[in-house]
Amino acid sequence: MDDHVKKVLVIGGGPAGMEAALKIGQAGFGAILVEREPELGGTLKKLVSSFPKWEDPADLISFKAHMLEDNGNVECLTSTTVLSAERSQKGFRVTLRHLKNRGSRELDVDAVILATGFDLMDVSVYGEYGYGIYPNVMSSLEFEERIRGWKEGAEPMPKGVAFFKCVGSRDRSKGFPYCSRICCMYTAKQAGLVKDLFPGTKVYVFYMDYRAAGKGYEEFVRDIIEQKHVRYVRGRPAKVLPENGRLLVRAEDTLMGIPVEVVVDTVVLASAIVPRADTQALTKMFGALTDEYGFIESLPYTPARSGERVFFAGGCGFAVETQGALQQGAAAAAEVIALINKS
Amino acid sequence: MDTEIFTPLRLDEIDSALQLELKEKLDIDIEACLECGKCSGGCSNGHIFDYTPRKIVQLVKIGDEETLAGMDALWICLSCQLCLDRCPSGIDIPRILDYLREKAVTQGVRASRPDVHLFMELMLEEVRDKGRVSEVPLMIRFKKKTGQYLKDAGLGFRMFLKGKLGFIPSRMQKPEDLKTILSERKSENKG
Repeated sequence: MDDHVKKVLVIGGGPAGMEAALKIGQAGFGAILVEREPELGGTLKKLVSSFPKWEDPADLISFKAHMLEDNGNVECLTSTTVLSAERSQKGFRVTLRHLKNRGSRELDVDAVILATGFDLMDVSVYGEYGYGIYPNVMSSLEFEERIRGWKEGAEPMPKGVAFFKCVGSRDRSKGFPYCSRICCMYTAKQAGLVKDLFPGTKVYVFYMDYRAAGKGYEEFVRDIIEQKHVRYVRGRPAKVLPENGRLLVRAEDTLMGIPVEVVVDTVVLASAIVPRADTQALTKMFGALTDEYGFIESLPYTPARSGERVFFAGGCGFAVETQGALQQGAAAAAEVIALINKS
Repeated sequence: MDTEIFTPLRLDEIDSALQLELKEKLDIDIEACLECGKCSGGCSNGHIFDYTPRKIVQLVKIGDEETLAGMDALWICLSCQLCLDRCPSGIDIPRILDYLREKAVTQGVRASRPDVHLFMELMLEEVRDKGRVSEVPLMIRFKKKTGQYLKDAGLGFRMFLKGKLGFIPSRMQKPEDLKTILSERKSENKG
């Protein structure tokens, strides 16, 4: 009988990584959760409210963080990155580095779960939208910050806000033929938040279609349109122009086939979800499969497995909302436990 | 050289004035429209409409009252209710068209097609007179006025075969009651 406690390295402290580490710990195995930021939470930490239930993401993060703390089997290492990894006989020998005190540490793990999350594409490639030229044209993640500012009363009230969906997504010419899946929902959420804060503000959402495939999602979007009176305009915006210190948006109303325009103060670009550039180094280090875009790919019939003793969960696999990230984290933990429990 | 400056339609209001009017007066909320086009795909007369039901709803949304008042569809809609019956959001499009027609008539707008108003007037006369509409007498009156006796003969024959044409004028039991109601209504409208 091997008295060595089996250990799993979980890289990334967002919802997927937190959930994976937690389940491994609860099952009685050791988990080391590595997060490069000083705090756990990942992208979720930057968000104001959630769909479809308007819950505060901070509550979920602190709930999971407390569970992790109370579980004696999980070691959470924040401000830490993975420096190197080498495949050993039964797992990996990895070197971790603390980003602040520069100290490093070597350890052996039986398996690894990659949960490094996603990034947003660089939307400045769209010259027609003027990102980087007009300060009030911003990405959806930057807009979360803006909402926080409005909530705290730090920013002046906008008279109009326009959301552009599919900025990058479903755009072959920019190299992203895929749908980023979560933008329809978080855009509806953001539009709703603006109307909650400023009922008099005119809010427009430009869309080609809205994809609300999830429990309570369709009802959520309909509520934004019918109860909160956000105006959905069908058409992909063509151009943003300055007009008397405000922003003029040109598009086609494709339902009537006529050109339309709106004048707003803020334009929010629902940018395509892309893999993080530095996830690439980790997939090489651990021998994980990736797809043509750089998202982690699964092996046949094992949705959370990407290689020998290599698993993944959350946005590093593809764009996913919080609920899905938690589910994938739990699924990756289940696969890891099934593997390491055998011997 | 004649140069026309291109100006897109500016969507300044979230809800158009007409949209709010429909909500207030008819309790019809077109924000519930899913833009699916089921109303238009099955519309009885959609193939000859200039604007199909989905587009009519969209015209309300963008507040294009001029197009709505001048469109042909306003006068050739059969009020068959198929669009309402099939609409997943239950939007009462026939009622919207009724409302728009009333509005157009009040504003003196007339259909560009010939004889539309003549037919409507004759039909209303039938109602005032007998309390009911009988197809054949109405057709005879209409044909006499227009002189187009054979124009719809084929259609009439097919309708006859399907039992859709009543030859014997049907009357309600007390048409005078209806007359009272109508005259009261008229004086109400005047007052």
